[in-house]
Amino acid sequence: MAIKVLLFAQLAELMNAKELVVENISSTNELIGVLEQQYPVFKGAAYVVAVEKDIINANTKLNDFSTVALLPPFSGG
Amino acid sequence: MSEKIKNIFIRGAISPAFIADGIQKHQSKTSIGGHSIFLGQVRADILNEKKVAAIEYTAYEEMALEKMHLIREYIFQKYPLTCLHIYHSLGIVEVGEICLFVFTSSAHRKAAIDACEETVERLKLELPVWGKELFTDDSHQWKINK
Repeated sequence: MAIKVLLFAQLAELMNAKELVVENISSTNELIGVLEQQYPVFKGAAYVVAVEKDIINANTKLNDFSTVALLPPFSGG
Repeated sequence: MSEKIKNIFIRGAISPAFIADGIQKHQSKTSIGGHSIFLGQVRADILNEKKVAAIEYTAYEEMALEKMHLIREYIFQKYPLTCLHIYHSLGIVEVGEICLFVFTSSAHRKAAIDACEETVERLKLELPVWGKELFTDDSHQWKINK
């Protein structure tokens, strides 16, 4: 199970990366837990989670090659 | 209305000539009685005694285009519009330059005005686009929308 995690704006800057690959993950809650454990910058960071470009509001099951995006507060326009 | 997903992103600032050209192109659409245009301009904000020199925009482009498509479909269902055009900058836009161009047209003014306003409000809330405020001293901070 390899999950592609896309990072944007502040999160991409803090991580110095636009993309991470995380192995052995089956849900979004599990992913967030692993990221917070490995990278303290995720703790307390403001963002919403999108799975396959849709923002989710509850724990969501992930499949192999799922794409998860972590989206800081939008500031376009 | 189910047309293909349109690109809204433009590299750098949106030029006044591009906006004028957009208006010109609608002269042949003679059922139109009113246009409404919103232009977003990069403001020279002063934050903690630092002055904004430019904003650098980035986006989750694929998701933003899908979301914009859904907003377009919603707006076309809600208002009797002839046309709706949206352009948003990516990359660096300097203060005083245009970063957002929303252009609605309809037979009568009210639909164009209301649709333009609702489109601007919704895209600012819903599109995964980020502005990085670049200060004159080369430092930066991430923009917060009000």
